[in-house]
Amino acid sequence: MCDHHNKLRSNNRDLQSIERQLDRREFFKKTSLGIGAIALSSLLNTEKVWSAVNPVANPSNSIGSFTRNKLGLPHHLPKAKRIVYLFQSGGPSQLDLFDYKPKLKDMFGQDLPDSIRAGQRLTGMSADQTAFPIAASTLNFKQYGESRAWVSDAMPYLSEVVDDLCFIKGMHTDAINHDPAITFFQTGSQQPGRPSIGSWISYGLGSDNNNLPTFISLVSKNGSGQPLYSRLWGNGFLPTEHQGVQFRSGKDPVLYLGDPENYDGDDRRQMLDYLKKLNGIAYDAYGDPEINARIAQYEMAYRMQTSVPEVTDTSDEPDYIFDLYGPDSRNPGTYAANCLMARKLLEKDVKFVQLYHQGWDQHGNCPGGVKYQSKNTDQGTAALIKDLKQRGMLEDTLVVWGGEFGRTVYSQGQLTNTNYGRDHHPKAFTMFMAGAGVKPGFTYGETDDFGYNIIKDPVHTHDFQATLLHLFGIDHERLTYKHQGRRFRLTDVHGDVVKDILT
Amino acid sequence: MAQKNNSPWVDYVIFGLTIFLIFCLIFESFIDLPGLVAWMGRWHPLILHFPIVLLLMAAALGLFNRIVPNVLLTIATLSALVTAITGFFLGTESAPKGDLIFWHQWMGAGVAFLAVVWYWLSNNHLQQTYLVKGIQVVLILLVGLTGHYGGMITHGEDFLAWPKSKKLEKIPENPLIYEHIVHRVLDNSCIGCHNPNKTKGELLMTSIDELIKGGESGPALVIGDPVNSELIRRLHLPVEDEEHMPPEGKKPLSDNEIQILERWIALGASDTLKLSDLDNSEPLVGLVKKMMDSGTTNSWAKLPKVMDSTLQNLASDYITIKRISSNSQALSISVFLPPDYNSKNITDLKRISNNIIELDLSGIPIGEKEMELVAMCKNLEWLEVDRTPITDAEFIKLSGLAQLRVLKAYETGITDKSVAVLKDLKGLKSLYVWETQISGDGFAQLKEALPNLQLDYGIDPELKTEFIQKDSIVDSIQ
Repeated sequence: MCDHHNKLRSNNRDLQSIERQLDRREFFKKTSLGIGAIALSSLLNTEKVWSAVNPVANPSNSIGSFTRNKLGLPHHLPKAKRIVYLFQSGGPSQLDLFDYKPKLKDMFGQDLPDSIRAGQRLTGMSADQTAFPIAASTLNFKQYGESRAWVSDAMPYLSEVVDDLCFIKGMHTDAINHDPAITFFQTGSQQPGRPSIGSWISYGLGSDNNNLPTFISLVSKNGSGQPLYSRLWGNGFLPTEHQGVQFRSGKDPVLYLGDPENYDGDDRRQMLDYLKKLNGIAYDAYGDPEINARIAQYEMAYRMQTSVPEVTDTSDEPDYIFDLYGPDSRNPGTYAANCLMARKLLEKDVKFVQLYHQGWDQHGNCPGGVKYQSKNTDQGTAALIKDLKQRGMLEDTLVVWGGEFGRTVYSQGQLTNTNYGRDHHPKAFTMFMAGAGVKPGFTYGETDDFGYNIIKDPVHTHDFQATLLHLFGIDHERLTYKHQGRRFRLTDVHGDVVKDILT
Repeated sequence: MAQKNNSPWVDYVIFGLTIFLIFCLIFESFIDLPGLVAWMGRWHPLILHFPIVLLLMAAALGLFNRIVPNVLLTIATLSALVTAITGFFLGTESAPKGDLIFWHQWMGAGVAFLAVVWYWLSNNHLQQTYLVKGIQVVLILLVGLTGHYGGMITHGEDFLAWPKSKKLEKIPENPLIYEHIVHRVLDNSCIGCHNPNKTKGELLMTSIDELIKGGESGPALVIGDPVNSELIRRLHLPVEDEEHMPPEGKKPLSDNEIQILERWIALGASDTLKLSDLDNSEPLVGLVKKMMDSGTTNSWAKLPKVMDSTLQNLASDYITIKRISSNSQALSISVFLPPDYNSKNITDLKRISNNIIELDLSGIPIGEKEMELVAMCKNLEWLEVDRTPITDAEFIKLSGLAQLRVLKAYETGITDKSVAVLKDLKGLKSLYVWETQISGDGFAQLKEALPNLQLDYGIDPELKTEFIQKDSIVDSIQ
């Protein structure tokens, strides 16, 4: 139907044969412009025009992802096949959880030396303070496991699994406020619009299970605080099928999966087949890759009618599993329940599962807040690691725990013997990883006695992202996507793989 | 004298193609080819044979003072231009261009331009001048060089190199760092020019003592001090630098190899140090293990070739087949439970059984037929048959899988009878067998037979209760 859509032809046969001939003007126009067009094309946004040759945007490929990866990925042998990223939104206080600073006890209430702060920019929330009194953590720290890792008593469950964890104590980032910092962590840029890590991995490596999305995000309902935006799991300029799919935090994680009454699967199949034909025609006419994304999503949704209920149904889990994850795990949408769901999704080879738990923003009442947040998350995190371990999944599954920045050593607001607040601190904080390709029972990096500056082995956000891609067999400098005339990468022009934490 | 019998359009075509080629070369970095044009580049390896033969023939005739037939020269020139242009198209597929492609491209273009000049001179009755003779000589040289570089691009740089009889030995489980690792690196990249027969810069690199002794530029190695070791300094210089080693044109050392040398020197450049002597947090451990790992990928190099189309036929929405790395013949397969399960979908995989390295059958109601397929996967390293109805009768089929490294068989019906099968899997590193009928006695036997095995019995029952009790602790800190 669309063979001649760019040129009108008459119905008269004699006229048609003349129309088909190339006249002199046409000849010059085509030859001279043709050469110029090749040069010009680089100046314009060409990806849509030639999208048909773009292998990833082609829907037959989303099913054919099992064959040779058209991007030549993975670049090297991957250690990790899937990841669960437990994002602790708000900026958990490293000083009250993992980064033990005993010397602070003696400096309680003293003003933070200027030599330590070194004129660092502070947020508007504490920049006007006349003093920056040092607040030692009121929580008790102990060493655990064979690795003798320090953990505060806010996280009693996690302390049981420290020998599986790799702590990175020298994390630092560029941003000082929540939204830019989270966006920076998830997309490599403080400004919105870039693809999320999960989208990059979906784009680069494709799906391992065609019946579920490659990238799923879960936001727990029992955390609240600074808002999260769906662009954190957005695909940016990558083809839409690489967008993260958010499961709802309730009993019914994906709505409208069931067939309506008196409407069976065959009817739906017929409807979808016809719709696919229609969409196929539209794609032939316009060549818009978004149409392919839509076809792929319809098919995925059809298969999800059986695959999602299978994953979200926890009724066949034995009681001891619920006990392991804690009482919350029976309440859908909580962090613990999401951890259990994450395990089930990972078992089904979903490549990237991202949990978000809000509320780690302790500007005031830091000790209580950290304890409260830990109560909601500690058991779930530790149970997930235990559960993955017993299933042999830590061998090829990566677990990441961390927030967008850390918190200050000085008290925001009034400091008392039992209470203090902590402001945002991007210059040093702690994250941990576990599982595939990462050294277990290991601590990397060190901060000064104030926990303010990094004195050994700093790891920048871009380094972390580069390392994450490396574990998936991707060279972060070679996974690029051309958009608006420029090749973009997750790590922009930065990032070094942190080889020292790899096994 | 050549007869001038060309119709003018031949001249125009040659002129047009020449302009186009110049245009391509000048605006190279701005050009983004549409798919069809890029495809035309794929014809380059076919077409290129014409100008090689025709130009050599024409030049030879000319040099022996014979008349070069005009048709021959015309076709030779045309084919040289088309070859150069298609070659340019093909070259745009590989960005960034390496040195080889760079030189090949410019010499190829040179051949085409020289041919055009000759053609033009010949059309203007300047056939027998010394200028044309010169062009002919240069052409012969250029065609040879261009062809040589092109050959190196397709067949590899050492395709024409002298055959080496050196065989790479497997790195042992617990290697001596110097003998099995460091010396191997030096042997691959350095000793070719620094041995008793050929001693460049008067430096011998065949032993640690010789390295410390050094050559013209002083000692190559300072024990404990990689920064001041000449060897390391030269490895880190930019490739263009005169002093960079290995010299330009030779394959540089990988980052991993350089780091191994650095750490080894920093640790005292010992010749008795073993991998097991090192602490797990020592970076050298990871570096050496990585080098040993790349050894295992080599063992996959012997796997039979498997076509993408075969995989496409065998895969479905419920069977994911992936190559472990992009160009590898090693396959990783995951099976998911479809609404209507049929064992045939799995037994069909026998066509590619030798290529299967990882197989995930978790939670699939597999039985004897499927386990027969598993038994056929001789190269299997990773098997997941957890949460399946298999029992000892089926489990015995695993006995021949010598490469098996990771085995997940938790929540299955196997008993102590299967312990005998497991004991024979000498390569096994991790085993997950909780919620099975294997008794404590069986585990003890296993541990004895395979001391290096990581056995997972599931979560320790004591810890389970501790987890539950701790709920009260958390309540108390609230």
